[in-house]
Amino acid sequence: MVRMLQFSKYFFMTMAAMFLAVPAFAQDTAATTGPNYGPLAVGIGMGIAAGLCGLGQGRATASAAEALARNPGARPGIQLFLFIGLAFIESLTLFTFALLFVRTAH
Amino acid sequence: MPIQLAFTRFLNQHFAAQVDNFLAAVHIHPAHPSAPITNAFAMELLIFAGLLLYFVVIRATLSVERPATVQHFAEMTHEFVGSQSESIIGHGYERFTAYLTVLALFILLGNLMGLIPGLESPTANPVVPLGFALVTFAYYHYHGIRANGFSYVKQFLGPVWWLYPLMLPIEIISHFARILSLTIRLYANMFAGDLVTLAFFSLIPIGIPLVFLSLHLGVAMIQAYIFMVLATVYLSMAVAHDH
Repeated sequence: MVRMLQFSKYFFMTMAAMFLAVPAFAQDTAATTGPNYGPLAVGIGMGIAAGLCGLGQGRATASAAEALARNPGARPGIQLFLFIGLAFIESLTLFTFALLFVRTAH
Repeated sequence: MPIQLAFTRFLNQHFAAQVDNFLAAVHIHPAHPSAPITNAFAMELLIFAGLLLYFVVIRATLSVERPATVQHFAEMTHEFVGSQSESIIGHGYERFTAYLTVLALFILLGNLMGLIPGLESPTANPVVPLGFALVTFAYYHYHGIRANGFSYVKQFLGPVWWLYPLMLPIEIISHFARILSLTIRLYANMFAGDLVTLAFFSLIPIGIPLVFLSLHLGVAMIQAYIFMVLATVYLSMAVAHDH
């Protein structure tokens, strides 16, 4: 009996998820008349991307500053790795930016 | 008709017919036959002419006893790029210094150009960074093959033979992703800098946009440096022997 209940719970959850997903496929017809969610997408997407990128860059910079404080002689190597690391972290946000710009510009 | 800068209009007035003929010869038909030269290309020509003049002047005034001001500047950039690539590539870095210096100077000038009224950054157009990235891609693969010969292909394979079929596609994709990341990083940084300045200009047209303009100045220099350093890192990976 418990098994049956568990099964039906998962079954109905799956069905609910599948029915929820249906409106997403019908966007093509609704997009012409519905409200424009472009600015919302830009805000949420850029917010998440920039916020997490800020956290990552903050961690990287903090570690670099700590390493420099411990060993000031290693400045050139640390600086190089810091710049490369920051560039790679930042480029993820820039991918988001480019995608958002391409998808919502028109 | 696209919006043209003064220099682009000047070029289009004088060379539009020749450029159209040349493009027709390679089966490209520009969207605006009366203005086939884009702003980005005109700006690139400007940088090209400026750098050519700069190097010619340096070569003409080269002197051991009485170095001129431009020579000091040229030695400074050469020293900077040289020491950078020596610490990354190590032995045999000298042959790459010319390419890396020109790359850094070209991108730096292109980035800083957007700050001068009447000009715009060619690097804020995705085609231009794509060109830099493609040239860098071809350059480091050429030097990888030159330095390692046929065993260069080992860099694309894993440490053990049964990983080869997995590693080869991954490595090939990651090498092409370098083109994408180099392009998007430079383009999006320069474009976003312009856009942020414009957005704040539309909010408060006095004073405040200047802060973002100065931020853009810093970003412009950092991005030229980053592009140069990443090209150096890719070169160092390609020419490394112990893999």
